[in-house]
Amino acid sequence: MSLTRVSPEARSASPWRFPAAVRPRALAVWLLLLAAIVVSAPSVEAGRMLRMTGEAVAALATGGKSQVGDGLGAIGRQLIPLQVSERREVSRIEDFDRDRLPLFSRIEVVDTRTERLDPETLQMRSVVERAEYLVEPVGYLVRVGVKLWETLMIAFWGTLLAVLMSAPLAFFSARNLTPHAWVYGGARAVVSLLRAVPELVSALFLVVAYGFGPVAGVLALALHGAGFLGKFYAEDVEAADPKPQEALAATGANRLKVLRFAILPQVIPQYIGYTLYVLDRNFRMATVVGLVGAGGIGQELKGRFDMYNYHHVGTILVAMFAAVFLIDQVSARLRRAHF
Amino acid sequence: MSAQPHLAFVGASKRFADGTQALADITFDVPRGQVCALVGPSGSGKSTLLRAVNGLTELTSGAVLVDGAPVDAEHLPAVRRKVGMVYQHYGLVDRASVAENMIAGAVADIATWRALLGIYPAAYRVKACALLAEVGLSPEHLTRRVSELSGGQRQRVGIARALMLDPEILVADEPVASLDPRVSVEVLDLMRREARARGATILCSLHQVDLARRFADRIVALRAGRLMFDGPAAAFDEAATLAIYGSAAEEGR
Repeated sequence: MSLTRVSPEARSASPWRFPAAVRPRALAVWLLLLAAIVVSAPSVEAGRMLRMTGEAVAALATGGKSQVGDGLGAIGRQLIPLQVSERREVSRIEDFDRDRLPLFSRIEVVDTRTERLDPETLQMRSVVERAEYLVEPVGYLVRVGVKLWETLMIAFWGTLLAVLMSAPLAFFSARNLTPHAWVYGGARAVVSLLRAVPELVSALFLVVAYGFGPVAGVLALALHGAGFLGKFYAEDVEAADPKPQEALAATGANRLKVLRFAILPQVIPQYIGYTLYVLDRNFRMATVVGLVGAGGIGQELKGRFDMYNYHHVGTILVAMFAAVFLIDQVSARLRRAHF
Repeated sequence: MSAQPHLAFVGASKRFADGTQALADITFDVPRGQVCALVGPSGSGKSTLLRAVNGLTELTSGAVLVDGAPVDAEHLPAVRRKVGMVYQHYGLVDRASVAENMIAGAVADIATWRALLGIYPAAYRVKACALLAEVGLSPEHLTRRVSELSGGQRQRVGIARALMLDPEILVADEPVASLDPRVSVEVLDLMRREARARGATILCSLHQVDLARRFADRIVALRAGRLMFDGPAAAFDEAATLAIYGSAAEEGR
Protein backbone atom coordinates (compact mmCIF):
# COMPACT_ATOMS: atom_id res chain seq x y z
CA MET A 1 0.00 0.00 0.00
CA SER A 2 1.26 3.47 -0.77
CA LEU A 3 1.66 6.06 1.94
CA THR A 4 -0.40 9.17 1.46
CA ARG A 5 1.36 12.43 1.98
CA VAL A 6 0.15 14.87 4.61
CA SER A 7 0.41 18.55 3.83
CA PRO A 8 2.13 20.77 6.46
CA GLU A 9 -0.97 22.97 6.82
CA ALA A 10 -3.11 20.04 7.97
CA ARG A 11 -0.62 19.32 10.74
CA SER A 12 -0.66 22.84 12.18
CA ALA A 13 -3.20 23.62 14.88
CA SER A 14 -4.82 26.60 13.20
CA PRO A 15 -7.86 24.86 11.57
CA TRP A 16 -8.59 23.10 14.86
CA ARG A 17 -10.87 24.63 17.41
CA PHE A 18 -11.99 22.66 20.44
CA PRO A 19 -15.76 23.14 20.98
CA ALA A 20 -16.81 25.35 23.91
CA ALA A 21 -18.50 23.53 26.80
CA VAL A 22 -21.35 26.06 27.08
CA ARG A 23 -22.80 26.94 23.71
CA PRO A 24 -25.28 29.74 23.03
CA ARG A 25 -28.11 27.29 22.51
CA ALA A 26 -27.61 25.72 25.94
CA LEU A 27 -27.49 29.18 27.47
CA ALA A 28 -30.74 30.10 25.71
CA VAL A 29 -32.43 26.97 27.05
CA TRP A 30 -31.40 27.84 30.61
CA LEU A 31 -32.65 31.42 30.25
CA LEU A 32 -35.95 30.16 28.84
CA LEU A 33 -36.33 27.81 31.81
CA LEU A 34 -35.64 30.66 34.22
CA ALA A 35 -38.23 32.85 32.45
CA ALA A 36 -40.78 30.02 32.67
CA ILE A 37 -40.21 29.74 36.43
CA VAL A 38 -40.65 33.48 36.97
CA VAL A 39 -43.76 33.73 34.79
CA SER A 40 -45.50 30.67 36.24
CA ALA A 41 -44.78 31.34 39.93
CA PRO A 42 -47.90 33.47 40.62
CA SER A 43 -50.33 30.91 39.25
CA VAL A 44 -49.24 28.35 41.86
CA GLU A 45 -48.88 30.94 44.64
CA ALA A 46 -45.20 30.13 44.90
CA GLY A 47 -44.67 33.26 47.00
CA ARG A 48 -47.14 32.19 49.66
CA MET A 49 -45.69 28.68 49.67
CA LEU A 50 -42.20 30.03 50.32
CA ARG A 51 -43.35 32.55 52.93
CA MET A 52 -45.45 30.13 54.98
CA THR A 53 -42.85 27.38 54.81
CA GLY A 54 -40.21 29.87 55.86
CA GLU A 55 -42.31 30.99 58.81
CA ALA A 56 -42.86 27.38 59.86
CA VAL A 57 -39.15 26.62 59.69
CA ALA A 58 -38.32 29.78 61.62
CA ALA A 59 -40.97 28.96 64.24
CA LEU A 60 -39.59 25.48 64.57
CA ALA A 61 -36.12 26.88 65.18
CA THR A 62 -37.17 29.57 67.67
CA GLY A 63 -40.07 27.72 69.29
CA GLY A 64 -42.60 30.33 68.14
CA LYS A 65 -45.94 29.91 66.44
CA SER A 66 -46.83 29.57 62.77
CA GLN A 67 -49.97 28.77 60.81
CA VAL A 68 -48.52 25.71 59.12
CA GLY A 69 -47.02 24.40 62.35
CA ASP A 70 -50.26 24.88 64.25
CA GLY A 71 -52.29 23.13 61.56
CA LEU A 72 -49.99 20.14 61.33
CA GLY A 73 -49.62 20.04 65.11
CA ALA A 74 -53.38 20.01 65.64
CA ILE A 75 -53.79 17.03 63.35
CA GLY A 76 -50.74 15.28 64.75
CA ARG A 77 -51.98 15.57 68.32
CA GLN A 78 -55.32 14.05 67.37
CA LEU A 79 -53.72 11.07 65.66
CA ILE A 80 -52.05 10.05 68.90
CA PRO A 81 -52.64 7.75 70.72
CA LEU A 82 -53.02 5.29 67.88
CA GLN A 83 -56.12 3.15 68.01
CA VAL A 84 -55.20 -0.44 68.74
CA SER A 85 -58.26 -2.01 70.32
CA GLU A 86 -61.78 -2.24 68.99
CA ARG A 87 -64.89 -1.71 71.06
CA ARG A 88 -68.29 -2.46 69.61
CA GLU A 89 -71.73 -2.49 71.11
CA VAL A 90 -72.90 -6.09 71.35
CA SER A 91 -76.44 -5.30 70.27
CA ARG A 92 -75.10 -4.03 66.95
CA ILE A 93 -73.13 -7.17 66.17
CA GLU A 94 -74.98 -9.58 63.96
CA ASP A 95 -75.11 -13.22 65.04
CA PHE A 96 -73.37 -12.45 68.31
CA ASP A 97 -72.61 -15.65 70.23
CA ARG A 98 -71.94 -15.00 73.90
CA ASP A 99 -70.39 -18.41 74.43
CA ARG A 100 -67.90 -18.14 71.61
CA LEU A 101 -66.12 -14.86 71.94
CA PRO A 102 -63.21 -14.01 69.64
CA LEU A 103 -59.73 -14.72 71.00
CA PHE A 104 -58.53 -12.40 73.80
CA SER A 105 -61.75 -10.42 73.79
CA ARG A 106 -63.98 -9.65 76.72
CA ILE A 107 -67.38 -8.13 77.35
CA GLU A 108 -67.60 -4.82 79.11
CA VAL A 109 -70.82 -3.74 80.76
CA VAL A 110 -71.49 -0.04 81.01
CA ASP A 111 -74.37 1.43 82.95
CA THR A 112 -75.37 4.90 82.00
CA ARG A 113 -77.63 6.88 84.29
CA THR A 114 -79.76 9.44 82.53
CA GLU A 115 -82.49 11.76 83.77
CA ARG A 116 -85.66 11.32 81.85
CA LEU A 117 -89.19 12.68 82.05
CA ASP A 118 -91.70 10.11 83.21
CA PRO A 119 -94.79 10.59 81.03
CA GLU A 120 -97.13 9.42 83.81
CA THR A 121 -95.90 11.34 86.81
CA LEU A 122 -94.47 14.17 84.78
CA GLN A 123 -91.47 14.01 87.10
CA MET A 124 -87.82 13.74 86.16
CA ARG A 125 -86.61 10.25 86.93
CA SER A 126 -83.20 8.73 86.65
CA VAL A 127 -83.03 5.68 84.41
CA VAL A 128 -80.16 3.23 84.20
CA GLU A 129 -79.39 2.04 80.73
CA ARG A 130 -77.19 -0.97 80.47
CA ALA A 131 -75.08 -1.45 77.37
CA GLU A 132 -72.70 -4.30 76.67
CA TYR A 133 -69.56 -3.81 74.62
CA LEU A 134 -67.33 -6.38 73.04
CA VAL A 135 -63.75 -5.27 73.57
CA GLU A 136 -60.99 -6.77 71.44
CA PRO A 137 -57.61 -5.56 72.75
CA VAL A 138 -55.87 -5.62 69.32
CA GLY A 139 -59.07 -5.75 67.31
CA TYR A 140 -58.47 -2.63 65.26
CA LEU A 141 -54.90 -3.61 64.50
CA VAL A 142 -56.18 -6.91 63.14
CA ARG A 143 -58.79 -5.09 61.10
CA VAL A 144 -56.16 -2.79 59.59
CA GLY A 145 -54.01 -5.83 58.87
CA VAL A 146 -56.88 -7.49 57.02
CA LYS A 147 -57.50 -4.31 55.03
CA LEU A 148 -53.80 -4.01 54.21
CA TRP A 149 -53.79 -7.58 52.96
CA GLU A 150 -56.82 -6.78 50.82
CA THR A 151 -54.99 -3.73 49.46
CA LEU A 152 -51.96 -5.85 48.65
CA MET A 153 -54.16 -8.34 46.82
CA ILE A 154 -55.82 -5.52 44.88
CA ALA A 155 -52.36 -4.34 43.83
CA PHE A 156 -51.30 -7.88 42.92
CA TRP A 157 -54.40 -8.58 40.84
CA GLY A 158 -54.26 -5.16 39.24
CA THR A 159 -50.68 -5.86 38.18
CA LEU A 160 -51.48 -9.37 37.00
CA LEU A 161 -54.32 -8.16 34.78
CA ALA A 162 -52.17 -5.24 33.58
CA VAL A 163 -49.43 -7.63 32.44
CA LEU A 164 -51.96 -9.86 30.67
CA MET A 165 -53.61 -6.93 28.90
CA SER A 166 -50.38 -5.16 28.00
CA ALA A 167 -48.74 -8.18 26.34
CA PRO A 168 -50.90 -8.11 23.18
CA LEU A 169 -50.96 -4.30 23.24
CA ALA A 170 -47.15 -4.22 23.30
CA PHE A 171 -46.94 -6.79 20.51
CA PHE A 172 -49.17 -4.72 18.24
CA SER A 173 -47.73 -1.34 19.18
CA ALA A 174 -44.10 -2.33 18.55
CA ARG A 175 -43.08 -1.16 15.11
CA ASN A 176 -41.03 -4.25 14.35
CA LEU A 177 -43.76 -6.77 15.24
CA THR A 178 -47.05 -5.15 14.31
CA PRO A 179 -48.72 -6.78 11.31
CA HIS A 180 -50.04 -3.54 9.82
CA ALA A 181 -49.60 0.22 10.16
CA TRP A 182 -53.27 0.65 11.12
CA VAL A 183 -53.05 -2.00 13.83
CA TYR A 184 -49.96 -0.20 15.09
CA GLY A 185 -51.78 3.13 15.19
CA GLY A 186 -54.81 1.62 16.91
CA ALA A 187 -52.75 -0.17 19.55
CA ARG A 188 -50.72 2.99 20.21
CA ALA A 189 -53.94 4.97 20.64
CA VAL A 190 -55.36 2.44 23.11
CA VAL A 191 -52.11 2.45 25.11
CA SER A 192 -52.06 6.25 25.26
CA LEU A 193 -55.71 6.40 26.27
CA LEU A 194 -55.22 3.88 29.07
CA ARG A 195 -52.23 5.81 30.36
CA ALA A 196 -53.99 9.17 30.05
CA VAL A 197 -56.79 8.24 32.47
CA PRO A 198 -55.50 8.29 36.06
CA GLU A 199 -56.45 5.38 38.32
CA LEU A 200 -58.44 7.61 40.63
CA VAL A 201 -60.63 8.87 37.77
CA SER A 202 -61.34 5.46 36.28
CA ALA A 203 -61.97 4.14 39.80
CA LEU A 204 -64.71 6.78 40.24
CA PHE A 205 -66.54 5.40 37.22
CA LEU A 206 -65.80 1.76 37.97
CA VAL A 207 -67.23 2.12 41.47
CA VAL A 208 -70.46 3.26 39.86
CA ALA A 209 -70.36 0.32 37.45
CA TYR A 210 -69.22 -2.48 39.78
CA GLY A 211 -70.26 -1.10 43.15
CA PHE A 212 -68.08 -0.48 46.22
CA GLY A 213 -65.29 -2.96 46.85
CA PRO A 214 -62.09 -4.34 45.45
CA VAL A 215 -63.34 -5.17 41.92
CA ALA A 216 -63.38 -1.51 40.93
CA GLY A 217 -59.94 -1.04 42.46
CA VAL A 218 -58.42 -4.02 40.66
CA LEU A 219 -59.79 -2.92 37.30
CA ALA A 220 -58.77 0.71 37.74
CA LEU A 221 -55.19 -0.31 38.51
CA ALA A 222 -55.16 -2.88 35.72
CA LEU A 223 -56.26 -0.40 33.05
CA HIS A 224 -53.70 2.24 33.91
CA GLY A 225 -50.99 -0.36 34.45
CA ALA A 226 -51.70 -1.91 31.05
CA GLY A 227 -51.19 1.48 29.41
CA PHE A 228 -47.92 2.02 31.23
CA LEU A 229 -46.55 -1.48 30.65
CA GLY A 230 -47.80 -1.57 27.05
CA LYS A 231 -45.77 1.52 26.24
CA PHE A 232 -42.60 0.40 27.98
CA TYR A 233 -42.75 -3.22 26.82
CA ALA A 234 -43.21 -2.01 23.24
CA GLU A 235 -40.35 0.47 23.43
CA ASP A 236 -37.98 -2.23 24.65
CA VAL A 237 -39.09 -4.57 21.90
CA GLU A 238 -38.31 -1.83 19.38
CA ALA A 239 -34.93 -1.11 20.96
CA ALA A 240 -33.88 -4.78 21.05
CA ASP A 241 -30.78 -5.70 19.06
CA PRO A 242 -32.03 -6.42 15.52
CA LYS A 243 -29.20 -8.76 14.54
CA PRO A 244 -30.51 -11.91 16.27
CA GLN A 245 -34.00 -11.09 14.99
CA GLU A 246 -32.74 -10.89 11.44
CA ALA A 247 -30.75 -14.07 11.89
CA LEU A 248 -33.92 -15.86 12.98
CA ALA A 249 -36.13 -14.36 10.29
CA ALA A 250 -33.51 -15.46 7.76
CA THR A 251 -34.14 -19.09 8.71
CA GLY A 252 -37.84 -18.61 7.95
CA ALA A 253 -39.09 -18.33 11.54
CA ASN A 254 -42.42 -16.54 11.98
CA ARG A 255 -43.00 -13.39 14.07
CA LEU A 256 -44.05 -15.21 17.23
CA LYS A 257 -40.94 -17.36 17.14
CA VAL A 258 -38.74 -14.32 16.54
CA LEU A 259 -40.42 -12.67 19.53
CA ARG A 260 -39.88 -15.70 21.74
CA PHE A 261 -36.31 -16.58 20.74
CA ALA A 262 -34.69 -13.32 19.63
CA ILE A 263 -36.53 -10.55 21.48
CA LEU A 264 -37.84 -11.86 24.80
CA PRO A 265 -34.48 -13.11 26.05
CA GLN A 266 -33.10 -9.61 25.48
CA VAL A 267 -35.90 -7.70 27.20
CA ILE A 268 -36.92 -9.99 30.08
CA PRO A 269 -34.74 -8.28 32.73
CA GLN A 270 -36.18 -4.85 31.90
CA TYR A 271 -39.70 -6.33 31.83
CA ILE A 272 -39.25 -7.71 35.33
CA GLY A 273 -38.03 -4.29 36.44
CA TYR A 274 -41.06 -2.48 34.96
CA THR A 275 -43.47 -5.02 36.36
CA LEU A 276 -42.01 -4.75 39.86
CA TYR A 277 -42.23 -0.97 39.58
CA VAL A 278 -45.90 -1.21 38.60
CA LEU A 279 -46.59 -3.60 41.47
CA ASP A 280 -44.89 -1.22 43.88
CA ARG A 281 -46.76 1.75 42.49
CA ASN A 282 -50.03 -0.18 42.43
CA PHE A 283 -49.77 -0.87 46.13
CA ARG A 284 -49.58 2.86 46.84
CA MET A 285 -52.29 3.61 44.27
CA ALA A 286 -54.53 0.87 45.72
CA THR A 287 -54.73 2.88 48.94
CA VAL A 288 -55.63 6.00 46.96
CA VAL A 289 -58.39 4.42 44.85
CA GLY A 290 -59.82 3.10 48.11
CA LEU A 291 -60.67 6.71 48.96
CA VAL A 292 -63.42 6.67 46.31
CA GLY A 293 -64.74 3.34 47.58
CA ALA A 294 -62.72 0.90 45.55
CA GLY A 295 -61.83 -1.33 48.50
CA GLY A 296 -58.81 -1.87 50.69
CA ILE A 297 -57.20 0.27 53.36
CA GLY A 298 -58.07 3.49 51.51
CA GLN A 299 -61.76 2.89 51.92
CA GLU A 300 -61.24 2.35 55.65
CA LEU A 301 -59.11 5.50 55.87
CA LYS A 302 -61.72 7.59 54.13
CA GLY A 303 -64.49 6.26 56.39
CA ARG A 304 -62.56 6.96 59.58
CA PHE A 305 -61.48 10.40 58.40
CA ASP A 306 -65.04 11.37 57.60
CA MET A 307 -66.17 10.19 61.06
CA TYR A 308 -63.38 12.22 62.73
CA ASN A 309 -61.89 9.01 64.15
CA TYR A 310 -58.39 10.46 64.01
CA HIS A 311 -56.87 7.84 66.31
CA HIS A 312 -57.94 5.22 63.81
CA VAL A 313 -56.53 7.35 61.00
CA GLY A 314 -53.22 7.45 62.88
CA THR A 315 -53.08 3.66 63.06
CA ILE A 316 -53.87 3.37 59.37
CA LEU A 317 -51.16 5.85 58.38
CA VAL A 318 -48.52 4.10 60.46
CA ALA A 319 -49.56 0.72 59.08
CA MET A 320 -49.44 2.03 55.50
CA PHE A 321 -45.99 3.50 56.05
CA ALA A 322 -44.76 0.20 57.49
CA ALA A 323 -46.21 -1.75 54.59
CA VAL A 324 -44.73 0.48 51.88
CA PHE A 325 -41.34 0.37 53.60
CA LEU A 326 -41.51 -3.43 53.75
CA ILE A 327 -42.49 -3.72 50.10
CA ASP A 328 -39.65 -1.41 49.08
CA GLN A 329 -37.20 -3.68 50.87
CA VAL A 330 -38.62 -6.81 49.28
CA SER A 331 -38.75 -5.44 45.74
CA ALA A 332 -35.24 -4.00 46.02
CA ARG A 333 -34.02 -7.42 47.09
CA LEU A 334 -35.92 -9.11 44.24
CA ARG A 335 -34.36 -6.79 41.68
CA ARG A 336 -30.87 -7.32 43.03
CA ALA A 337 -31.39 -11.06 43.01
CA HIS A 338 -32.30 -11.06 39.36
CA PHE A 339 -29.77 -8.76 37.77
CA MET B 1 -23.52 -33.42 -9.65
CA SER B 2 -25.84 -31.57 -11.88
CA ALA B 3 -24.61 -29.14 -14.49
CA GLN B 4 -26.82 -26.47 -13.02
CA PRO B 5 -24.92 -23.99 -10.80
CA HIS B 6 -25.86 -24.22 -7.15
CA LEU B 7 -25.97 -20.46 -6.72
CA ALA B 8 -26.08 -17.93 -9.53
CA PHE B 9 -26.13 -14.15 -9.71
CA VAL B 10 -27.54 -12.85 -12.98
CA GLY B 11 -27.06 -9.14 -13.54
CA ALA B 12 -27.70 -8.48 -9.87
CA SER B 13 -28.06 -4.73 -9.25
CA LYS B 14 -29.07 -2.78 -6.20
CA ARG B 15 -29.61 0.92 -5.83
CA PHE B 16 -30.54 2.16 -2.36
CA ALA B 17 -33.23 4.76 -1.75
CA ASP B 18 -30.53 7.40 -1.21
CA GLY B 19 -29.22 6.77 -4.73
CA THR B 20 -26.15 4.74 -3.77
CA GLN B 21 -25.39 2.09 -6.35
CA ALA B 22 -24.46 -0.83 -4.08
CA LEU B 23 -24.34 -3.48 -6.78
CA ALA B 24 -23.99 -3.00 -10.52
CA ASP B 25 -24.73 -5.87 -12.84
CA ILE B 26 -23.04 -8.67 -10.91
CA THR B 27 -22.99 -12.00 -12.75
CA PHE B 28 -21.27 -15.17 -11.60
CA ASP B 29 -22.05 -18.80 -10.75
CA VAL B 30 -21.00 -20.91 -7.81
CA PRO B 31 -21.01 -24.66 -8.48
CA ARG B 32 -22.14 -27.07 -5.77
CA GLY B 33 -19.55 -27.71 -3.07
CA GLN B 34 -17.30 -24.78 -3.94
CA VAL B 35 -15.83 -22.50 -1.30
CA CYS B 36 -16.08 -19.03 -2.76
CA ALA B 37 -14.67 -15.97 -1.01
CA LEU B 38 -15.95 -12.49 -1.68
CA VAL B 39 -13.39 -9.75 -1.11
CA GLY B 40 -13.37 -6.00 -1.54
CA PRO B 41 -13.01 -2.80 0.47
CA SER B 42 -15.67 -1.58 2.90
CA GLY B 43 -18.77 -0.39 1.10
CA SER B 44 -18.01 -2.39 -2.05
CA GLY B 45 -21.34 -4.24 -1.87
CA LYS B 46 -20.25 -7.57 -0.35
CA SER B 47 -22.89 -7.59 2.38
CA THR B 48 -25.63 -6.44 0.03
CA LEU B 49 -24.83 -9.27 -2.36
CA LEU B 50 -24.83 -11.86 0.44
CA ARG B 51 -28.05 -10.56 1.92
CA ALA B 52 -29.73 -10.85 -1.46
CA VAL B 53 -29.14 -14.63 -1.38
CA ASN B 54 -31.88 -15.20 1.16
CA GLY B 55 -33.99 -12.19 0.47
CA LEU B 56 -32.84 -9.93 3.32
CA THR B 57 -32.16 -7.36 0.60
CA GLU B 58 -34.31 -7.05 -2.48
CA LEU B 59 -32.47 -6.45 -5.74
CA THR B 60 -33.43 -3.50 -7.91
CA SER B 61 -32.88 -5.58 -11.02
CA GLY B 62 -31.36 -8.89 -11.96
CA ALA B 63 -31.78 -12.08 -9.97
CA VAL B 64 -30.22 -14.56 -7.60
CA LEU B 65 -30.90 -18.18 -8.48
CA VAL B 66 -30.65 -20.98 -5.93
CA ASP B 67 -30.75 -24.37 -7.65
CA GLY B 68 -32.10 -22.53 -10.67
CA ALA B 69 -35.04 -21.03 -8.77
CA PRO B 70 -35.15 -17.24 -8.40
CA VAL B 71 -35.14 -15.79 -4.89
CA ASP B 72 -38.56 -14.14 -4.93
CA ALA B 73 -41.64 -14.09 -2.75
CA GLU B 74 -42.75 -17.46 -4.09
CA HIS B 75 -39.47 -19.32 -3.58
CA LEU B 76 -38.20 -17.44 -0.52
CA PRO B 77 -39.42 -19.94 2.11
CA ALA B 78 -37.81 -22.84 0.26
CA VAL B 79 -34.60 -20.84 -0.31
CA ARG B 80 -34.35 -19.87 3.34
CA ARG B 81 -34.43 -23.55 4.32
CA LYS B 82 -31.49 -24.23 2.04
CA VAL B 83 -29.37 -21.25 3.07
CA GLY B 84 -27.65 -21.02 6.46
CA MET B 85 -26.28 -17.64 7.51
CA VAL B 86 -23.21 -16.82 9.59
CA TYR B 87 -22.69 -13.21 10.69
CA GLN B 88 -19.81 -10.98 11.73
CA HIS B 89 -21.51 -10.15 15.03
CA TYR B 90 -22.76 -13.74 15.36
CA GLY B 91 -26.47 -12.82 15.42
CA LEU B 92 -26.81 -14.66 18.72
CA VAL B 93 -28.84 -13.52 21.73
CA ASP B 94 -26.16 -12.67 24.30
CA ARG B 95 -28.40 -13.09 27.32
CA ALA B 96 -29.76 -16.48 26.25
CA SER B 97 -28.00 -19.77 26.80
CA VAL B 98 -26.10 -21.57 24.06
CA ALA B 99 -28.80 -24.26 24.10
CA GLU B 100 -31.58 -21.69 23.50
CA ASN B 101 -29.61 -20.12 20.66
CA MET B 102 -29.10 -23.52 19.04
CA ILE B 103 -32.81 -24.29 19.18
CA ALA B 104 -33.48 -20.83 17.75
CA GLY B 105 -31.57 -21.96 14.66
CA ALA B 106 -34.06 -24.78 14.09
CA VAL B 107 -37.17 -23.03 15.32
CA ALA B 108 -38.42 -22.46 11.77
CA ASP B 109 -38.93 -26.24 11.59
CA ILE B 110 -40.63 -26.62 14.99
CA ALA B 111 -44.38 -26.19 15.46
CA THR B 112 -45.14 -22.75 16.91
CA TRP B 113 -46.88 -24.07 20.03
CA ARG B 114 -43.97 -26.41 20.78
CA ALA B 115 -41.51 -23.58 20.28
CA LEU B 116 -43.43 -21.22 22.56
CA LEU B 117 -43.98 -23.78 25.31
CA GLY B 118 -40.37 -24.94 25.18
CA ILE B 119 -41.27 -28.55 24.29
CA TYR B 120 -38.60 -29.07 21.66
CA PRO B 121 -38.55 -32.31 19.67
CA ALA B 122 -35.85 -34.68 20.92
CA ALA B 123 -34.27 -34.86 17.45
CA TYR B 124 -33.32 -31.17 17.58
CA ARG B 125 -31.98 -31.39 21.11
CA VAL B 126 -29.77 -34.31 20.11
CA LYS B 127 -28.68 -32.51 16.97
CA ALA B 128 -27.80 -29.34 18.85
CA CYS B 129 -25.51 -31.33 21.14
CA ALA B 130 -23.93 -33.19 18.25
CA LEU B 131 -23.23 -30.00 16.30
CA LEU B 132 -21.77 -28.20 19.32
CA ALA B 133 -19.47 -31.16 19.89
CA GLU B 134 -18.47 -31.03 16.21
CA VAL B 135 -17.53 -27.36 16.32
CA GLY B 136 -15.42 -27.98 19.41
CA LEU B 137 -17.47 -26.85 22.39
CA SER B 138 -17.92 -28.90 25.52
CA PRO B 139 -21.11 -30.02 27.29
CA GLU B 140 -20.80 -27.41 30.06
CA HIS B 141 -21.16 -24.65 27.45
CA LEU B 142 -24.78 -25.65 26.76
CA THR B 143 -26.15 -23.81 29.79
CA ARG B 144 -23.75 -20.84 29.57
CA ARG B 145 -24.98 -17.53 28.34
CA VAL B 146 -23.50 -16.46 25.02
CA SER B 147 -22.19 -13.32 26.75
CA GLU B 148 -19.88 -15.55 28.81
CA LEU B 149 -18.19 -17.04 25.71
CA SER B 150 -15.12 -15.78 23.86
CA GLY B 151 -15.47 -14.39 20.34
CA GLY B 152 -14.16 -17.58 18.77
CA GLN B 153 -16.56 -19.71 20.80
CA ARG B 154 -19.45 -17.46 19.83
CA GLN B 155 -18.70 -17.84 16.14
CA ARG B 156 -18.45 -21.61 16.61
CA VAL B 157 -21.95 -21.49 18.09
CA GLY B 158 -22.99 -19.26 15.18
CA ILE B 159 -21.77 -21.84 12.69
CA ALA B 160 -23.34 -24.73 14.60
CA ARG B 161 -26.62 -22.86 14.70
CA ALA B 162 -26.49 -22.24 10.95
CA LEU B 163 -26.09 -26.00 10.48
CA MET B 164 -29.20 -26.88 12.52
CA LEU B 165 -31.43 -27.01 9.44
CA ASP B 166 -28.89 -28.86 7.24
CA PRO B 167 -28.28 -26.00 4.82
CA GLU B 168 -26.97 -26.72 1.34
CA ILE B 169 -25.44 -23.27 1.12
CA LEU B 170 -23.58 -21.45 3.89
CA VAL B 171 -23.54 -17.70 3.46
CA ALA B 172 -21.10 -15.97 5.79
CA ASP B 173 -20.83 -12.20 6.07
CA GLU B 174 -17.37 -11.29 7.43
CA PRO B 175 -17.46 -14.24 9.83
CA VAL B 176 -14.00 -13.54 11.26
CA ALA B 177 -13.81 -9.74 11.14
CA SER B 178 -14.23 -9.53 14.93
CA LEU B 179 -11.77 -12.31 15.72
CA ASP B 180 -8.00 -12.39 16.18
CA PRO B 181 -5.86 -13.90 13.37
CA ARG B 182 -5.24 -17.29 14.96
CA VAL B 183 -8.91 -17.83 15.86
CA SER B 184 -9.91 -16.54 12.41
CA VAL B 185 -7.95 -19.33 10.74
CA GLU B 186 -9.46 -21.91 13.10
CA VAL B 187 -13.00 -20.71 12.48
CA LEU B 188 -12.60 -20.60 8.70
CA ASP B 189 -11.04 -24.08 8.69
CA LEU B 190 -13.94 -25.31 10.77
CA MET B 191 -16.47 -23.79 8.41
CA ARG B 192 -14.80 -25.34 5.37
CA ARG B 193 -14.54 -28.72 7.06
CA GLU B 194 -18.22 -28.69 8.01
CA ALA B 195 -19.26 -27.64 4.51
CA ARG B 196 -17.09 -30.29 2.83
CA ALA B 197 -18.51 -33.00 5.12
CA ARG B 198 -22.02 -32.05 3.98
CA GLY B 199 -21.25 -31.26 0.37
CA ALA B 200 -22.43 -27.72 1.06
CA THR B 201 -21.44 -24.64 -0.88
CA ILE B 202 -19.86 -21.65 0.88
CA LEU B 203 -20.10 -18.02 -0.13
CA CYS B 204 -18.14 -15.99 2.38
CA SER B 205 -17.10 -12.37 2.43
CA LEU B 206 -13.71 -11.58 3.96
CA HIS B 207 -11.65 -8.48 4.16
CA GLN B 208 -8.31 -10.18 4.71
CA VAL B 209 -6.98 -11.22 1.31
CA ASP B 210 -4.42 -13.62 2.77
CA LEU B 211 -7.16 -15.49 4.64
CA ALA B 212 -9.30 -15.60 1.51
CA ARG B 213 -6.43 -17.07 -0.49
CA ARG B 214 -5.80 -19.72 2.12
CA PHE B 215 -9.47 -20.58 2.75
CA ALA B 216 -11.23 -20.38 -0.61
CA ASP B 217 -11.19 -22.36 -3.83
CA ARG B 218 -12.13 -19.26 -5.69
CA ILE B 219 -12.14 -15.53 -5.11
CA VAL B 220 -14.62 -13.00 -6.40
CA ALA B 221 -13.64 -9.37 -5.82
CA LEU B 222 -15.95 -6.39 -5.78
CA ARG B 223 -15.18 -2.72 -5.79
CA ALA B 224 -17.81 0.00 -5.66
CA GLY B 225 -20.48 -2.56 -6.52
CA ARG B 226 -18.68 -3.88 -9.61
CA LEU B 227 -17.18 -7.30 -10.16
CA MET B 228 -13.43 -6.69 -10.55
CA PHE B 229 -11.96 -10.17 -10.30
CA ASP B 230 -13.22 -13.71 -10.56
CA GLY B 231 -10.86 -16.66 -10.57
CA PRO B 232 -9.03 -19.35 -8.64
CA ALA B 233 -7.83 -18.23 -5.22
CA ALA B 234 -4.20 -18.75 -6.24
CA ALA B 235 -4.61 -16.34 -9.14
CA PHE B 236 -5.54 -13.46 -6.86
CA ASP B 237 -2.02 -11.97 -6.65
CA GLU B 238 -0.43 -8.74 -5.51
CA ALA B 239 -1.47 -6.92 -8.64
CA ALA B 240 -5.11 -7.98 -8.16
CA THR B 241 -5.00 -6.92 -4.53
CA LEU B 242 -3.63 -3.53 -5.47
CA ALA B 243 -6.26 -3.14 -8.17
CA ILE B 244 -9.03 -3.80 -5.65
CA TYR B 245 -7.70 -2.06 -2.57
CA GLY B 246 -4.69 0.00 -3.55
CA SER B 247 -6.06 3.00 -5.33
CA ALA B 248 -9.11 3.02 -3.07
CA ALA B 249 -6.76 3.48 -0.14
CA GLU B 250 -5.38 6.63 -1.76
CA GLU B 251 -8.81 7.99 -2.55
CA GLY B 252 -10.07 7.33 0.93
CA ARG B 253 -7.28 9.19 2.71
